[in-house]
Amino acid sequence: MIRVSHLTRRFGAHVALDDVSFEVGQGEVVGFLGPNGAGKTTAMRILAGYLPATSGSASVAGFDVLGQSLEVRRRIGYLPESVPLYREHRVVEMLDFHARLHRMPRARRRQRIPEVLDQVGVRDRARDLIGSLSRGLKQRVALAVALLPDPAVLILDEPTSGLDPLQRIEVRALLRGLAERRTVLLSSHILPEIEATCRRVLVIHRGRIAADGAPQDLVAKLAGASFVRLEAVVGPDFEKALRLLRAIDGVREVLHRGKLGIHDVFEVHGEGDSREDVGAIAARTGWALRELSWQRPTLEQVFARLTLDLEPAAQSAAPAAAAAAAAPAARPPVVTLNPFERPPPPRGGSGQSA
Amino acid sequence: MSGLFAIWRRELSALFFGPLAWTLLCLALLLDGRLFVGELAASSGDVDVATRYAFVVSFYIAILAAPLVTMRMISEESRAGLLEYLLTAPVTDAAVVTGKFLAATSFFAILSAAVFVYGGVLAAQGLAPDPGTLVAGWLGLVLASALFCAIGTFASALTSTPMVAAFSAVLLDLALVLAPQLARLSPAPWVQRLGARFDLTDHLSSSFLLGAIDTARVVFFLAWTGLFLFLAVRAVEGRRWR
Repeated sequence: MIRVSHLTRRFGAHVALDDVSFEVGQGEVVGFLGPNGAGKTTAMRILAGYLPATSGSASVAGFDVLGQSLEVRRRIGYLPESVPLYREHRVVEMLDFHARLHRMPRARRRQRIPEVLDQVGVRDRARDLIGSLSRGLKQRVALAVALLPDPAVLILDEPTSGLDPLQRIEVRALLRGLAERRTVLLSSHILPEIEATCRRVLVIHRGRIAADGAPQDLVAKLAGASFVRLEAVVGPDFEKALRLLRAIDGVREVLHRGKLGIHDVFEVHGEGDSREDVGAIAARTGWALRELSWQRPTLEQVFARLTLDLEPAAQSAAPAAAAAAAAPAARPPVVTLNPFERPPPPRGGSGQSA
Repeated sequence: MSGLFAIWRRELSALFFGPLAWTLLCLALLLDGRLFVGELAASSGDVDVATRYAFVVSFYIAILAAPLVTMRMISEESRAGLLEYLLTAPVTDAAVVTGKFLAATSFFAILSAAVFVYGGVLAAQGLAPDPGTLVAGWLGLVLASALFCAIGTFASALTSTPMVAAFSAVLLDLALVLAPQLARLSPAPWVQRLGARFDLTDHLSSSFLLGAIDTARVVFFLAWTGLFLFLAVRAVEGRRWR
């Protein structure tokens, strides 16, 4: 449905997209992931026919975005990041205007407008002035505008920004529902959201595609395997504890991650989930157990790894380093590779307590 | 075409949703009406002179008002991200620009239709002006306002600041009106001739306002309007490259 080949876009000396190629098939839901300024919006604008590319080509539904721009625009629903709506109009008037731009006949307009208002859940605000709506409601109205012509391809630039957690869940569910019949390309920097909605992720960084694949594959390939995390009081001799843990069947490596107060922190890497064995040892030796959990690396860690230019994970020290690197995504990128520092608590359901 | 119509419709209705259109209408009609009545009294009841005078006043009002009506049309939309919305909708850039321009021109067609009210009132007093002259004068005024609206739309496409758009449009309008008149004062005869060719006020007052619809002068206005519209479309296209 979407085919992009060797797409490059420059703004003066700044290269926003650098020789990007990818394809999205019919009915696929693809998440565009990348830090701010990575080129997500530029790529989406080119696909929507707003920006021309400096070089390379892109096509949507078999039509070239530059040469057959109007054909492309008739087939896509585009939700720009800035949520453009006419403040002085009512919600229905805005939708009516959009329907007219799409040359929808009157009967179809009458049927379709209430339909999309229901879909995004703003039917009761249909007569409200758009200027008086909250950010979240505007976001939904803009989504309704994108959905109105029943497009084959949806391009959504940060569709859930400005929404509260409950609305986010609703929009996610809505997107999953839409995906059955449509091709969806959406961008977000909220990683759990991409993990929840998309079966395929394109990580874009500094204008290039840094990774492409299913979220779980990317995680397995780039962030390393899952491991068991243990926090317990093991007495003065942690070396003995290490020996005991290493003796467990299938364990390849045990790392001591330092002390948190009186508790020692261990990571047990190896084949499969060895929580039960670790628990048994703890019961036998009388360790005071505070945490015994199965840590799965998340897309967030993959993202941090790719965008902070770290090497792909080595099997052992990697998850901790990735976790340490994941948090500073918002802060200046201070990469902590010191294994004796406690990794920040994983977020977004990455850890499961036993 | 239907996209152009939709944009024209939305733009014109949006104009009347805001206070600007009503304020302009009110002030322009007050000024025009007061001067018309004064002229009517001064010309001791010569209806044709007074209506011609009302047209000339409307012409100068259009020079100042057209930039105010058009200033936000593209500049503000570009700032609010609405231009991105319009330029990714299934309409051509030309339809977007032309729709907006036609909405502004329609506003002035409505504004200058006030002369028909004057005509009606005078007719009720038994002093009816020649209806053909009124229609021709109105047409001339609409053509002149269309030119100013095209200039305003062009200026609005150049910048993202409405005030800058309005200011530069007023300057352009004045330059276009005054430069030919200055040229007429020149000692060189060819400059004088050139000035006479391009004199907007002359095209208006020596033809339309006398009740004559001269196709050459219609084409003159349409050509200049078309030029600025073309430039406006190019300026909007240029925004995609920035």
